Amino acid sequence: MTRRSWRSDPKRELWLAWYATVAFYSLYTVVFFVITRIQPPGKPWYSPVQVTEWFAGRHDGLLVGFALIFVLGGLSATALALITYSIRRMSVSRAFAYSYLILYAIAAVPGFLFICVAMTVGAMRPDRNPAVLRWLYDFGFLSFSGTMGVFLVGSLIWMTAILLDDNRVFPKWFGYLNLCNALTEVVVAPSWIFHGGVLAWNGTIAWWINVVVFGLYTGVFIFLLRQMILREDFGTGPLPDLGLGGPAGQVLAEAAS
Amino acid sequence: MKRTTGERIIYWTLPVVAVMWIAAFFLFPGFLPPMSPTWSPARVAAFYRDHTSRVRYSMILFNWFCVALIPILMLIVERMRGMAHRTPIMRYCLIGVAGAAPIAFLTSTIFWLLAAFRPDRAPALTQLYNDLAWITFTCGIPFLVAICFFLAVSIYLDQQVRPVFGRWVAHFNILAAIALVPAGFAGLTLNGPFAWNGFLSFWVKNVVIALWIAVMAVVLGRAAPRGGALVEAPA
Repeated sequence: MTRRSWRSDPKRELWLAWYATVAFYSLYTVVFFVITRIQPPGKPWYSPVQVTEWFAGRHDGLLVGFALIFVLGGLSATALALITYSIRRMSVSRAFAYSYLILYAIAAVPGFLFICVAMTVGAMRPDRNPAVLRWLYDFGFLSFSGTMGVFLVGSLIWMTAILLDDNRVFPKWFGYLNLCNALTEVVVAPSWIFHGGVLAWNGTIAWWINVVVFGLYTGVFIFLLRQMILREDFGTGPLPDLGLGGPAGQVLAEAAS
Repeated sequence: MKRTTGERIIYWTLPVVAVMWIAAFFLFPGFLPPMSPTWSPARVAAFYRDHTSRVRYSMILFNWFCVALIPILMLIVERMRGMAHRTPIMRYCLIGVAGAAPIAFLTSTIFWLLAAFRPDRAPALTQLYNDLAWITFTCGIPFLVAICFFLAVSIYLDQQVRPVFGRWVAHFNILAAIALVPAGFAGLTLNGPFAWNGFLSFWVKNVVIALWIAVMAVVLGRAAPRGGALVEAPA
């Protein structure tokens, strides 16, 4: 890229969204693994007293880390926007793109807002009744791991679009990686039942294997979205002035609809 | 019938729902002044026992009408089609957060209504619902911040002779996003300006949201006729 203004770069919106996606997932990793230390997750078999100690051990981290998510969590929409755009570039119905956008947009509340609220409410009153504190602990971890359907169906929607697509926006093997991600949402279901063992919310299958698959999947799709943006060819001409309603503006408006 | 008729109907729902929002705000007995996070469980329980009906009526109103912001946000998304962007990315960003913003608020109304549903339960549990309601209401801002941020970026990128929204609207949205930030930190303290009843987390945040709705309503009203003219402009 030359030194011309980034605002005249034809791909500026795509790059802004891509860098915001990278920023969001970096923030997410730092907050969940380093600041709050809620990943790897707490033990589902903890007694109320142990849960109280668990909250006490990360009091500041929980409150500061989730405050950062409360402020910046909405950046997650940039990834959805890019993925929705990627599906619009495919030779499939727009229904796939809009389904993906809506599924992941509504996933935000149960998928990450609930754990932020539950853990913040838990940490803000360390002297709360331990049994009530454990209720918040369960609510936090289970809403986070156990918000399954939107990610399950969302991944299958993206997978189907990729496998049907003739424009080769994404390689077919990534379609099958979507299936792997969808399967993590299947094998996490028993965490609603078991308090210990490989299928519990902190278990080898429900957490360790799933987090590796999700991490790999996320890293790969961020890379593939970058490849998609690099391949896009909008030409280099100036943007037509839509306000004047000229022919070029109408063509562009058509393309963007 | 013109294509813009439906948009006008949506636009003019705003004053009606704004009246509902303001009425619900004044009806809820815990906003003026805002309930303090330092209240004991017994005092919280007494609050819900003493004001059961007003909590219920105000939160039912909010539950009904908070999501009425979504059609207004979709009008903004429609106006964004007129922006000199090359991709629909910024519109998708806005759609991606437009639903979650009022749903976060709707979730807090559910906790408030649960608190008032059985005022005779153990005070520690009523305090739990009250905490969940206030933290969801106060800290549940990530999507509002993102709406302001995405709108500002969209406006900055709309480089044409007659942009859809003036440049100052972008500056205003950046300031609004910044003003919302302290509310995200409300869990950190039970006293002072950052607490959920504090100057920054309650007063600044809620005044900014009201101001944002008013300002965006005005600029949306001004942008509408031109959006309509664009559709009918001769090629």
